[in-house]
Amino acid sequence: MNRRVQHVVVVGADAPAWMAAAALQRSLGGAGVRVRVIELPSLLQPVDAYSARPELAGFHHRLGLGEELLLGLCNAVPVTGQRFSNWSGGAPPFILGYDQPSPDEADLGFTQYWIKGRQKGLRTAFESFSLGAVAAKAGRVPLATERAELRSTFGYDLDARAYTALLRQFVISGGVEAKAASIGDVQLEDDRIAGLILADGERVEADLFVDASGSQAVLIGRMPDSEFHSWREWLPSDRMIVGSAKALRPHPAFSQISAFRHGWVGLFPLQDRTAIFAVYDSRQTSDQEVLDSLPLLAQLPIDGDAAISTLAPGIRERSWVGNCVAVGESAFSLEPLDAVQLHITHYCVSQLMALFPATAASFPEAELYNRIVRRVATNLRDLQLAHYKLNRRFDEPLWDHCRDHPVPGTLRRKLDAFAARGRIPLYDDDTVQEQGWESVFIGHGIIPQSYDPRVDAKPEPQQIAEVQDRMARIAELVGAMPPVDEFLSSSLRPGAAELANNG
Amino acid sequence: MSKPLDIVILGGGTAGWMTAAALVSLIPLSRCRVRLVESEEIGIVGVGEATFPEIKKFNDAIDIEEAEMMRATKAAFKLGIEFVDWGFKGSRYIHPFGAHGPPNMDHIFHHLWLRARSLGLTSQIDDYSFAAQAARNCRFEFPETRRPTLNSTYTYAYHFDAGLFGLFLRGLAEQRGAARTEGKVLEVILDPQSGQVRSLVLESGETISGDLFIDCSGFRSLLLGQALGVGWEDWSKWLPCDRALAVPSERDELSPYTRSTAMEAGWRWRIPLQHRTGNGYVFSSSFIEEGEAADSLLRSLDTKVLGEPRLLKFTTGRRTVGWEKNCVAVGLASGFFEPLESTSIYLIQIAIMNLVRLLPGKSIDPRLRDEFNRLMELQYERIRDFLILHYKLNGRDDSEIWRYCAAMDVPESLTSKIELFRHSAIIERYREGLFTPISWLSVFTGQGLMPESYSPFADAIPGDELISKLEELRAEIADRVDEMLPHDRFIQRYRAAEPVGVSVAAEAHL
Repeated sequence: MNRRVQHVVVVGADAPAWMAAAALQRSLGGAGVRVRVIELPSLLQPVDAYSARPELAGFHHRLGLGEELLLGLCNAVPVTGQRFSNWSGGAPPFILGYDQPSPDEADLGFTQYWIKGRQKGLRTAFESFSLGAVAAKAGRVPLATERAELRSTFGYDLDARAYTALLRQFVISGGVEAKAASIGDVQLEDDRIAGLILADGERVEADLFVDASGSQAVLIGRMPDSEFHSWREWLPSDRMIVGSAKALRPHPAFSQISAFRHGWVGLFPLQDRTAIFAVYDSRQTSDQEVLDSLPLLAQLPIDGDAAISTLAPGIRERSWVGNCVAVGESAFSLEPLDAVQLHITHYCVSQLMALFPATAASFPEAELYNRIVRRVATNLRDLQLAHYKLNRRFDEPLWDHCRDHPVPGTLRRKLDAFAARGRIPLYDDDTVQEQGWESVFIGHGIIPQSYDPRVDAKPEPQQIAEVQDRMARIAELVGAMPPVDEFLSSSLRPGAAELANNG
Repeated sequence: MSKPLDIVILGGGTAGWMTAAALVSLIPLSRCRVRLVESEEIGIVGVGEATFPEIKKFNDAIDIEEAEMMRATKAAFKLGIEFVDWGFKGSRYIHPFGAHGPPNMDHIFHHLWLRARSLGLTSQIDDYSFAAQAARNCRFEFPETRRPTLNSTYTYAYHFDAGLFGLFLRGLAEQRGAARTEGKVLEVILDPQSGQVRSLVLESGETISGDLFIDCSGFRSLLLGQALGVGWEDWSKWLPCDRALAVPSERDELSPYTRSTAMEAGWRWRIPLQHRTGNGYVFSSSFIEEGEAADSLLRSLDTKVLGEPRLLKFTTGRRTVGWEKNCVAVGLASGFFEPLESTSIYLIQIAIMNLVRLLPGKSIDPRLRDEFNRLMELQYERIRDFLILHYKLNGRDDSEIWRYCAAMDVPESLTSKIELFRHSAIIERYREGLFTPISWLSVFTGQGLMPESYSPFADAIPGDELISKLEELRAEIADRVDEMLPHDRFIQRYRAAEPVGVSVAAEAHL
C-alpha cells in the first residue's frame, strides 16, 4: 500500500475552516492524521449571523458538540421553518416548515390527497398540513417526540462570530494546532501544491490542503482548471447588507424572507437581536438607497452600523484539484437564502470524509467529489432560483426578468413534473427532500393540475375525515410544544457556558 | 366526473398480467377500464423465474397473500445469487439480498474487513452476510423488522414459475375487473393527425380502441417499436449473449438462492422451485454453436431432465424511450437484459409503478411522459453497467468470450466506478436504480477485485481487536443461522406449499 495522507492543512476563516478541521480531527485523528489550521483573518462583522438547517444538528452530534452550547454561547434561536412574504404579488405569505418525511407516505403522500381536496373545493392552505409550518406560526419548538406519525425538527439562527469562536475552541481543545496567518504565496508543482509561503515567511507543506477560505478561494483559485463560472444569469443579486435590530419579543420560530423591488430582505431572530440581511442587484439600486430604506424594508429600526459585502453565486470548474480540496463557498457560492450558508460547508465536508483519500500518492477520489459537489450545487442553486423564477411581482424590472428568463433543465423538469402531477423528481445529492420543494413550489403559486389516480381508491368521506384528523393531530402536537422563549429559558441552564470553557 | 380512461394492454405474459393486475387493484374502475388482448397461439417467454426483493413491495401493494401466491406458483424463497466460476474456475461467491456485517454498518463495514485482510485475515466478505450464510446452509426465516439485529440485515425474493405467476395474476386481475379479449392483432391503426395509436384490429375483425395502450407484446414490440417506430439502442457489444436454452429438471435440494455458473460461452442458471429445478444456458451465438451449447447444458444438470431444451433468441438493449405518444411499453417490449441478476420482473414492476404514479388523462401530458422516460432511462442504464461489470471483471482466460469481455471497452460511467473501487474501496451510491453499494461490493470482491487500500478511518481501531471482533461476528452469524429452519421445512410450515401427506401431520406436532 502507498503512503497514507498523514498531514492535512486547512486554510480558511470563520466557521467553514473550523467545521472542516473538527470533522477531520474527529474522524481521522485516531488513525494518525495530523490536522493543522492556517487561520486567515476573519471576514465576519459583529452583525453577521448564520441560518442553519436542521441537518447541522447531526454534524454537531457526530462531533460530540452539545446543542446546549449553541444556545448558551451562540445567541441561538431555534427555528422551525422559513416564512416567505411578498414574493407573489398579493398572495399571502407561506412557511416552509422543517418536517421530517414520514416513511408511510414515501410513495403516496399527503400532497396527492391535498391536490384532490383542492380540486374538490378545499381552501385550507398546504402549510396548514405541515407540522413544522404550524409550529413555526405558533412560535413553538418541536422537541424529539416519541413515535408520532408526523414529525418535524428545527434549525438555528446563530451569531456568526460566536459560533465560529465555539467551533474554534472545540477544535483547538481537541489537539489541533492553529496559526493565524495570511498566505504569501502558493507554490505549485504541476497540479499539486508543493508548499504555502505564509506572510511571515514560514513554508507549510502537507499531503492534503483543504481550502475553506470561502469566496476568497485562496488555494483552489490558483489551481489549474478550476476557473469560476458565474450563475448571475439566474441569480442576479450581487450585493448584501447585514444589519442589526432589536430582538423580537416573543422570539419568532422562523426566519422571515421578504421580497422587495430590487431583491429580498431577511430577518433572522437571535436571542439578543434580530439580524437583518438585504440582498439585491446593484444594477437596479445603490447601496445607499438600500441602506436608507432598510428600516422600512425590515419594518424595524436598525441599530448601529451595517456591513456591506458582495455576492457572486457560481461554481468552480473543479473543486478538488491535485492535493487541494475546496469545501464550502470556495467550491461554490450561493445567496444566503434557504439557510444554505453552513449547509454548503457541511455537505462538502461530509463528502470529503466519505471520500477521504486512501493514499497520498494519487487522488482518484477527486473525480467523484467533483461530480457530487457539482450535483449538490446545482440542486441548491435550483432551489434558490425557484424563488426568483416563480415570483409574481409585475412591472419591476428585476422580477420581470427573473420570471421570463428560462431556467436550467434540472429545474425545468422539477417544475414540469410538479405542475403536471405534484411529483418532485429528486436527483442524486438533492439535500432538500420532497416536502421542501413542494412547500416552495406551492407557496409560490404552483397548483398541480392532476393527482395520483390511486388517491381515488379511498372513499371521499374517509379522505375528508383524514384531512380533518390531520389538522386536529397537528393542533394537538403543536399545543404540546414549548414556545420558543420557554424553550430558551429551560435550555439556558446555569453552567452551560462553563461547560463550554472546559470543553 | 369525467369518463374513465380506456387502457388497452397488448400481450398477456408476465408483463401484461402484472400490469393489468396492478392497474385494476390500485386504481378504481371509475378512473380506468382495463382490457387485455392476448392470443393463446402466441407463446410467452415467461422471463425471470427468479426475482428481486422489490417484488414483495409490488405484491403487498396489490394485496397478494404471500403464502397463497407461493402455493399457486410453486414458489420458493430466495436470499441471493451464487456466482460460480466467474472470478476464476473454482471460485464462488454469493451476492446476498442483505448487508454485510452488523446492522446499520453497511457503509463502513467493508473498510474494516479490508483492513483486517491487510493484517492477514483470509475471510471473504460474504462470510459476514447473514443472508449469504443462511443461503449456504439452506435455511430460511423471515427477517426481523422491528429492531436492528443480525437477522434484520436482509430482505428476500422468490423463485417461482413465471407462467403460473402470470396465470395467478390473470385470475386476480379478471376477478377485480380487468377484461380479456382473445385474439391476434392484424393491424394497428394510428391517428393520421396526432400519430397516436387509435385502435387494434384483430383477426376476428373486432376493433379495440382505447386512450392509452400498454405494449406488453414482448421482443416484437408491436406498438412502440413497430407501429410508432421508436428506435433501439443496442448494448450487445458489452453484453454479447444473444441466446438462451432453457430446460427443467427434476427437483433437487431446495436451496434458497439462484446459482449462476460461468460456462465456456456464457453462463448457466439453476433455479430451484417446489416441483422442479429450472435450468438454462445463456450464451453468445458468436462463441458457440447451439447444438454444442445444448449438449453442454444437458451434461451439466444435477438431476434428470424433464423435456427438451427450448431456445430463445434476443438482443440486449432498450427502446430509446419507453413512453411515446399514447403508448407505454412494459417488459421486453421496452428492453431486454439477460437474467443474470434477475432484473426482468423488477423492470416490469418499476415501469408499472412509475406509470401508475404518472398515469395520463385522455390527452397525454408530455410532462408526465418525460418524467417516466427519465426515470426508466436511469433504471436501464444503471442495471446495464452492473451487468457489464460481471463480464468485464471475469478472471478466466480459458475461452474466447471471457477473453473478449475482459478486454472490451466499457461505458465510462463503469470504468470510473471500477477504478475508484480498485484504488480506495469507495462505491458511489445513487438514488434511482436497483443496485446498492452492497451489490456492487459483492460482485467487485467476489470476482477478485480486491482494493489496493481502504478508508483511513479504519486504521483507528487496533488490529487485533478488529480481527477478534470479526471472528466473533462470524461465530454469531453461524450460531444464529443454526437456529433457523431448513428452507423446505419452512415452506411447508408457512403453508406456502400444497400439503404433502405425512410431513404436514408431523409439522402440526412441532
